[in-house]
Amino acid sequence: MTVVARLIDVHKTYKIGRIRVPAVRGVSLDIEQGAFMSIAGPSGSGKTTILNLLGALDTPTSGTVQIGEGTTAGLSLKTLADFRNTHLGFVFQTFNLIPVLSVRENVDFPLQLQGIGNKGERNERVHKILMEVGLGELADRRPTELSGGQQQRVAVARALVKNPTLVLADEPTANLDSETAGEIMTLMQTMNEKHGTTFVFSTHDPLVMERASRLVRLHDGQIALDEAGDGGRSAS
Amino acid sequence: MEAAVQAESIPGRLLPLTILQLGWRNLRRNHRRTWITATTVALAVLLVQVAVSLLIGIEQQSFDNLINYQTAHAKLYADGYFTKREELPLDYTLTDLQELRATIEVVSGVAATTPRLNFSAQLSNGIDLYACIGVGIQVTDSDDDVFRIPQAVVDGEYLRSGEEGMLMGTGLAELFGVATGDWMTVLTKTKAGAYEALDLPVIGLIGTGNPLIDRNSFLVPLETAQYMLGLDGYATELAIRFSPTARSEETLSAIARAVDNQHLEVKGWREMEEDFMALVQMKRTGQGVFLVIFIVLAVVGVTNTILMASFERTREIGMMMAMGLRGSGIRRLFLTEGALTGLLGGALGTLVAVAITAYFATAGLDITAMYGDIDIGYPVKDTIYPAVNITVIVASWLLTGVLAALASLYPAARASRQIPVEALRHV
Repeated sequence: MTVVARLIDVHKTYKIGRIRVPAVRGVSLDIEQGAFMSIAGPSGSGKTTILNLLGALDTPTSGTVQIGEGTTAGLSLKTLADFRNTHLGFVFQTFNLIPVLSVRENVDFPLQLQGIGNKGERNERVHKILMEVGLGELADRRPTELSGGQQQRVAVARALVKNPTLVLADEPTANLDSETAGEIMTLMQTMNEKHGTTFVFSTHDPLVMERASRLVRLHDGQIALDEAGDGGRSAS
Repeated sequence: MEAAVQAESIPGRLLPLTILQLGWRNLRRNHRRTWITATTVALAVLLVQVAVSLLIGIEQQSFDNLINYQTAHAKLYADGYFTKREELPLDYTLTDLQELRATIEVVSGVAATTPRLNFSAQLSNGIDLYACIGVGIQVTDSDDDVFRIPQAVVDGEYLRSGEEGMLMGTGLAELFGVATGDWMTVLTKTKAGAYEALDLPVIGLIGTGNPLIDRNSFLVPLETAQYMLGLDGYATELAIRFSPTARSEETLSAIARAVDNQHLEVKGWREMEEDFMALVQMKRTGQGVFLVIFIVLAVVGVTNTILMASFERTREIGMMMAMGLRGSGIRRLFLTEGALTGLLGGALGTLVAVAITAYFATAGLDITAMYGDIDIGYPVKDTIYPAVNITVIVASWLLTGVLAALASLYPAARASRQIPVEALRHV
């Protein structure tokens, strides 16, 4: 299968004052097109750091991060921003919607960033994805008028509307109750299967881990386990 | 495989309308803070616009005053008079006045002309003696077609044809302690150098607001002045009023062409009053700088407001950058918020300023209560009328927006330099 992202012997060390804190230590990882991959591990194991590296939000201290056909090494902030704009979608733990924009406008936001000036085309794509995530009726509401689950659905729609190469979700269910968390995982899984979009999400929730088609477990910044999952079929 | 990531050619920017929309809604997010900042700006704009309206009104009234009582729109002199006009010489005079007037009055843009004879004199009430400026004016046909002296008569009446007497400036009358009906002695020298004295009754007092006239001048019929100076049929200047639609420069050129080769020179009122115009320009510049500084001080509050907003929205900035919005896009967003705060405050201040100015533009503002008889440096009467000037209003409103945007430069630049991954971690 096509590899959409690859980490080769990646190290990331943070400097806090005079102390150097290694967050990721020699991680190598291939992420294949269409994967629904979970990165699991306890707090401080390096999950978020790896997502940040894959998301071109951070650069490694050493090693190589390849996404598509290139590496993120030595790129300017502007080029990294353009790269994220083109290839990546993000879902955050705390939803991070823009509170002054409606659901529709939040989802439209990344399309504008992609330079799609045609409003008709944008409206069509926004409408389609909102229908897919089950929020067609709530398009004109503000985020504050939605439940946590609904807000995370908007975030998923916002990540998917631009057809990204890779969607990165940092603990997407951590702020949700278990039922809603299950609904969000189902939604992401459906999108993964329907559109073939590659998902990488971090979690420490076993119920979320078992939904993954591949599970990578980290411990102290290193891969402790890398195994195929059954996408939750055994659980169901 | 090792080549650096090549992003596709995608702007990474928001549409201008979205930035405006986002900026406006963000202002409403913390509406109390926005209103406090906007109100500060509004007060500054209000004061600036009222002050500017007053200054424009005073300037316009000054110009009208000069034209109506002193300079007319233009004057025609014999060659050499203009440079020595402050000495009031009698050696450079105009003759064939009727023919000259006929020549000038057919020029396009000219509405009326009138001859005047200016001379130096000493006035006495029998006790005091002061040097003054005497002006001989053509009472009938036609001084009041060019000047507006009859409107400035505050006591007594205007000069009558064939009747000897004088109009005296109110300041001069006060100096002498004389009133309408009192007699004054005019002492002067003829062109030949002979002394001449004549007793004349004060027919009326004039208060023009122009210190040169009110404190230093008296007006007599032209025939009286010609008789005293031995200059029958002569004048020192031909004053000219333009029609309301005339273009000054074109009319001046046309007059100059009409009297070409006659050893005459025509001067527009601005040239005659070039010292005053330079003073006006200097005051404008000084007041302009002061007023801009005033607005700058007011918009400093915008810096603080935008800085606070950028701190509060650090995670949101990180999220937008994570989605691909460039730093320049973040900068634009906060600059827009700053500019909108300035424009909002500017609009509020402008509305109130226009209402105040419009009221006083009709009712007038009596400055005697503030200044009494103190000379405020402009030839205006006791009531001034502020002028509503749309260009100034729009320009100062837009200037407020620009200055508020400039005041937001630092917080906007700071926000745009955020590192997305750090901004997203911000609590």
